[in-house]
Amino acid sequence: MILEKRKKYLHVALNSTLEEAAEIISQLPVSDRILIEAGTPLIKIYGTEAISQIKEMASVGTYVVADNKCADLAAREVEMMANAGANASTCLGVAPIETIDSFIEECQKFNIDSMIDMMNVESALAVLKKLKKLPDIVMLHRGVDESEFSKEKQIPYYQIKQIKGNYNVLVAVAGGDTIREVQRAIFNDADIVVVWKNFYQSSTETAQLAGSFLKEIK
Amino acid sequence: MLNQRSKYLQIAFNRSLDEVRDMIATLPASEKIIIEAGTPLIKKYGKKGITALKEWWGEKIQKSGYIVADLKCMDRGSREVEAVADAGASAATCLGLAPIETINEFIRECEKAGIDSMVDMMNIEFPFEILQKLKKLPTVVVLHRGADENERNREKQIPHDQIHRIKGTYGNVLISVAGGETPRDVVRTFFNDSDIAVIWRSFYEAPENTANLAQEFLKLVK
Repeated sequence: MILEKRKKYLHVALNSTLEEAAEIISQLPVSDRILIEAGTPLIKIYGTEAISQIKEMASVGTYVVADNKCADLAAREVEMMANAGANASTCLGVAPIETIDSFIEECQKFNIDSMIDMMNVESALAVLKKLKKLPDIVMLHRGVDESEFSKEKQIPYYQIKQIKGNYNVLVAVAGGDTIREVQRAIFNDADIVVVWKNFYQSSTETAQLAGSFLKEIK
Repeated sequence: MLNQRSKYLQIAFNRSLDEVRDMIATLPASEKIIIEAGTPLIKKYGKKGITALKEWWGEKIQKSGYIVADLKCMDRGSREVEAVADAGASAATCLGLAPIETINEFIRECEKAGIDSMVDMMNIEFPFEILQKLKKLPTVVVLHRGADENERNREKQIPHDQIHRIKGTYGNVLISVAGGETPRDVVRTFFNDSDIAVIWRSFYEAPENTANLAQEFLKLVK
């Protein structure tokens, strides 16, 4: 695994346009604790260019996550993402087990971190149990559509400790968009907190959140 | 946009755009062929991949061709649909495994954008359970065995028995079957009353043989 177990990371997801991505990246503090994600919409709109361009925009050595949300043909997708410069790639936890197994193997082959996205998965533990090998990172989160249309659905913070108690993996959770929410995720033992810029926010706010994270969370 | 009475052969393209251009050029100009921009192709080239396929197929059949964007949407339904409709897609796919909120949003956005909605039931044991929960039906239900599943686990089968049950309950929805790659699979798909058969592997493995393969498969589409 490329990431370190003892560190806490802020994972900034970029979902809008490459222009906006450039704007946010230029304002982000430089730190190995800031991860930058090429979001699913960006990949589907720009292709793997989204990843290589973000890699170029970011300071040298920045860890870039390709949120390709693989559902099938894992070998093909992992190779594409790795070749474009990604340091990690994502696979859906709802995908067939054969796909997730192949995805994890391929990530190891290409020396990138494997992240399993547990969106809409009832029991992340049940998925992990079926796998031949563990992924590097397990990501717990609610989808944007779910959160918008069913407000009562919550991020399952209690699962973080369950997973870490049973498996040697890092856990990433979506952390909302204020430093308070990010602190809450860290307090619940998350290793990586995922944040993104909402359409009503300015890029500066997202960058400021990253600044507060580096200052307040060690 | 699809004709309920017709049968269709959907060919998914996943090679490089240069190769896909040559492949499309050698296809028979049949309206029974649906061109799919495969998920890896979309993730590699983005919107410009979809637009390119739309143009090349349009040139070939001398009218606006039907292009499926195999988005496999999992979240942010409206954003993704808007993007592929703008790129020229005639239909887009959403995972049946996505949150119900996403599928509902996806179907609504497809209607708004004037494109067909396809819900891909890969890795779902009971597609009925998903359909029952939706506010509106999609245009097409895709019964699908994933490529990785097929390769690593031969005993899993395409649930052909579901086709009649779904059509019996939800009269208007079209059924597409993906995951059977041989002529025999395609015959079985249509025999079981599917409207669309999706194939890609033989074309991917032997792009130079595209014309012959398409002719062979097209014979099976009555």
